Amino acid sequence: MRYKATHSTRYRYDAVVSQCQSEVRLTPRALPWQALLESRIQATPEPAAVEAHKDYFGNDVTTFTILESHDRFTIVSTSTVDVEPRPAPPATDTPWEAVRDELAAHTRPETLEAFEYVFDSPFVIAGPELAAYGRKSFPAGRGVLEGIDDLAHRIHSEFTYEPNATSIDTPLLETLKAGRGVCQDFSHVMIGALRSLHLSARYVSGYLRSGADYQGAEASHAWVSVYLPGSGWLDIDPTNDLRPGTGHVTLGWGRDYGDVTPVKGIALGGGHQLVDVDVRVDPIDDAHA
Amino acid sequence: MSDTSPARPSRRTADWHYRPPEAGHWDEALDPSGRPRPHWMRLAAAMRRMGMPEFSRRWEFGQQLIRANGVTYNVYGDPLGSARPWPMDLVPLAIDGHEWTHIERAVIQRATLLNAVLADLYGSHRLVRDGHIPPELVFDNPGFLRACHGIAPTSGVFLQNYAVDIARAPNGTWWVISDRTQAPSGAGYALENRLVSGRTLPAMLDQCRVRPLTDFFEVTIKALLALAPKRPANPRVVVMSAGPNSETYFEHSFFARQWDFPLVGGGDLTVRDGRVFLKTLAGLNPVDVILRRLDDEFCDPLELRGDSLLGVPGLVQAARAGTVFIANALGSGLVETPALMAFLPGLCRHVLGEDMRMPSVATWWCGQEEPRREVLEHLGTLVIKPAFPRFGQHAEFPATMSADNRRALAARIAAHPARFVAQEQVDLSSAPVHTHRGLEARHVVLRVIAAWDGTSYAVLPGGLTRVATGQQSLVVSMQAGGGSKDTWVIGGADDTAYELEPSPAPGFTSSTELSSRMADNLFWLGRYAERLEANARLFRVLLPALSGDAHQGRHASVDTVLHYLRGLDLLPTQSRHATVARQWWNLQRLVADMVFDTRHIASIGGNLRHVRRLSWEVKERLSPDTWRVLQQLSTQLSAAPPTNHDRRFLAALAALDDVVIMLSAFAGLLAENPTRGYGWRFLGLGRRMERALQMIELLRVGVALAPFPDDACLEVLLQIADSSTTYRSRYLAAIRTRYVLELLLADETNPRSVAFQATALLDGVHSLPRRQAEASPPAEYTLAKRLRQLLREANMDDIKRRDANGQRLALEAHLHTVRNGVTDLSEAITARYLSHSASSRLKSF
Repeated sequence: MRYKATHSTRYRYDAVVSQCQSEVRLTPRALPWQALLESRIQATPEPAAVEAHKDYFGNDVTTFTILESHDRFTIVSTSTVDVEPRPAPPATDTPWEAVRDELAAHTRPETLEAFEYVFDSPFVIAGPELAAYGRKSFPAGRGVLEGIDDLAHRIHSEFTYEPNATSIDTPLLETLKAGRGVCQDFSHVMIGALRSLHLSARYVSGYLRSGADYQGAEASHAWVSVYLPGSGWLDIDPTNDLRPGTGHVTLGWGRDYGDVTPVKGIALGGGHQLVDVDVRVDPIDDAHA
Repeated sequence: MSDTSPARPSRRTADWHYRPPEAGHWDEALDPSGRPRPHWMRLAAAMRRMGMPEFSRRWEFGQQLIRANGVTYNVYGDPLGSARPWPMDLVPLAIDGHEWTHIERAVIQRATLLNAVLADLYGSHRLVRDGHIPPELVFDNPGFLRACHGIAPTSGVFLQNYAVDIARAPNGTWWVISDRTQAPSGAGYALENRLVSGRTLPAMLDQCRVRPLTDFFEVTIKALLALAPKRPANPRVVVMSAGPNSETYFEHSFFARQWDFPLVGGGDLTVRDGRVFLKTLAGLNPVDVILRRLDDEFCDPLELRGDSLLGVPGLVQAARAGTVFIANALGSGLVETPALMAFLPGLCRHVLGEDMRMPSVATWWCGQEEPRREVLEHLGTLVIKPAFPRFGQHAEFPATMSADNRRALAARIAAHPARFVAQEQVDLSSAPVHTHRGLEARHVVLRVIAAWDGTSYAVLPGGLTRVATGQQSLVVSMQAGGGSKDTWVIGGADDTAYELEPSPAPGFTSSTELSSRMADNLFWLGRYAERLEANARLFRVLLPALSGDAHQGRHASVDTVLHYLRGLDLLPTQSRHATVARQWWNLQRLVADMVFDTRHIASIGGNLRHVRRLSWEVKERLSPDTWRVLQQLSTQLSAAPPTNHDRRFLAALAALDDVVIMLSAFAGLLAENPTRGYGWRFLGLGRRMERALQMIELLRVGVALAPFPDDACLEVLLQIADSSTTYRSRYLAAIRTRYVLELLLADETNPRSVAFQATALLDGVHSLPRRQAEASPPAEYTLAKRLRQLLREANMDDIKRRDANGQRLALEAHLHTVRNGVTDLSEAITARYLSHSASSRLKSF
């Protein structure tokens, strides 16, 4: 499936900003099932400097320095991607404890690399509450795939999707108690529950195809990826209770939201700010692309 | 000073007998039989020859030096804030030169090893992959800054400077207690301690053949400059600090001053196109080396810790681009991790191919099963610490815990074993300190300081000895009120010359490097100093009038005093109309209280607080004498005022005199200052502007609003303005409104007049830096010129007149216009040179 993705972020300030530095992670990542055909990020006003590098997790980062005085700042990222169906998950399920133990032993380079995602990260601090929540989906001996699907299903059915109920600074425990939030919160809850069982889980930032019956489209989306020794990382979207397929465009991943924040920045001046975010991911006809 | 730190000596009770140290500890000075150790003999003999009374006298002198030099450290959460005098015990810690060679080698080895570990952890992770470092120590460690991974500093120097705390066990061997790798402090304090020893015990330093410290700084600063990327001819180095509230701010400003490096806050720097620049009055100057005294994660609000705006947005990017050398490398706090100590011996063999020359205190990381079992079994004998350094998490001592608490601790360890380490309790050695009871034993820890010397590490031959808080205490912490000592490495090297004092820097350092923030601070220092003087002079004239004694020192009637206080809006509302305020004793109480009450806008105490805060901000820009005067000034009124009214009244009078005299000294030093850089100009602009505003206010109350007849008000006005003598010698006449106005408003030759300030402001504005070739004259120039014109054009005869209602509306209007002229000028200067808007974070989605 070929998509044209447009992600615009518009800031309006009530006082003049004399200088702004921002760092964005808005370039879709090249993956075995995802090809990046075209990508462009445009900032207004015209940046004095643009720099690009890969971060620790291998995501593309673009930084902008704006030196002209402004009271509006816009970043528009447009990209064309081909998304193919992903490889099927392993046919046989393994008890989740075996996965946990293999990670703890981390004898192979892949498991050592995945081991990094077993630990707390700034936005996801595991604790007894998350452990108790996760434990219900992972009784002794249950297959890890079955547990993952069950956990995603429980989060989907037990939590209410409610934009503006939380901000990115809402502590995870509060989200867990309130049972409300958006995709970032649900992903963090799921990651925290998995990590408290010493399973390896990472946070994936991306988009959903527009127009489909998805929760969380038309905004930046997030889901979870779990490491399964032998077969690699398996994506799971607790917000929509499904395993991502061709409807999910991957931007990048990290330990949590903080590692892959799509747009962040520091402005000199500015006072109060208003932000509009708009995401469109439209299928395009291959022949006309 | 608390009763646990070395107390004031009393000559009567002091004796030279150094008590036998506690059994079971090594004593640095005495061997177990009570005889001085060989390397202490010369020192002990020299001290004996000097005698206790003389030693105590010098100790006092040393304390004065410390106060005069403003050597301080800040205690977190202390309401006193800055300016705790640095506690130093004059009895040095002597270390044998041969033993020092062993310490030196061990510290060089450790610095080299930790640098190699950092290079690996911020690079290939080979040490983790090959099992030499457990991955938990990196992946679960908040000190591992992923944003800094892959950044390779010049010559692979992650640790440019390094400090290590070492202690001596009862059998005489040294152990490492902890490593300081992100922004190690101590070198500046060590040098300052040596300067105090050098001034107070010069002959003793010489006789004992103490190794000098200055070579170390010469070598390592040169090596630091050579680390500037692309090797510029004159690399620009800045010291980056969190400001006067940092614990070791003294040291930040000491370094800046010592080597003429600008002391900057994050807001003074900016990153453009991957390059760091210093924002100065003259524009942006590229920065090659940053000596940062800010913790790792606060250095860049964009890529590191997001909830702080202390650092420089984009600094990580500049480091990644390799355009700036940052000492120490961002993220180097990672190897302060106590858990790492358990793995250093193996790493040392693997990385350097040699055994550790000095062991770390025995450390068990609970993340491994076998050590964990051991730890839980012997919990009562161990110290438990967080495996990763995190602010606010301290060591716990199961030995002194209740059984319940110990069980709770064991449960916490079992729940998160990888987050804990256990260490052996360290038995610290003891050394003599000087107290009012004579010499007493206190436990000591030695902070050894090392820095990159171009090919390897150089070690400061001495270091900072820190002394435990009390006699039995094993707690050695400046935060907890411990003390410090100079450390004398005795013999074992050729050079035996004692320290030469570094030459004092000129009054103001390199003027074009003045940051906008520093200029702003100097401008406000000028304004507050002048406001303080105006208030002190005002109260100095008004207070004696309230003495109740009609004959002595009484210049004005109670009515006149009331007129001024009301006119200047200094009376509390409730007493403004009350008849009670007409009674001189009530008024006296009120005015004396106003002098002390720091909440009152016009209070001397409140203005002193501003002067004190600002003088700390600009410390390294001031000449030592100017600094000392400001220090003395700001300690005025620091004691609580007497509770007795009469005494408070007298204390207020005395304080006012002192303040005026010290401000005159301050003004005198500024006038005599040889280097008139931009800093001096901004300070001057601040003073002139404030003096003009204060005089306008006095003229409004003392002339424009003066009740008829004017005489009493004018007399007082001349006294406050310090112009009575000038008036009499010039006009040889009774006091006339026209002449007073001429003298205090229009006369460009009277240093107290508004016109004089206007002329000085025009001069000052004229000499400010211009950024580019500007076609039209800048706004501040036009405004200053207009202000002077306004004062020149006014006709004194016209504006002094009272109208039909007896009011001087023309004068009021004129003063109003002049005041607006001054404030417009102030705003123009601020907008152009001094403004620095606050940063804010963009909302993220």
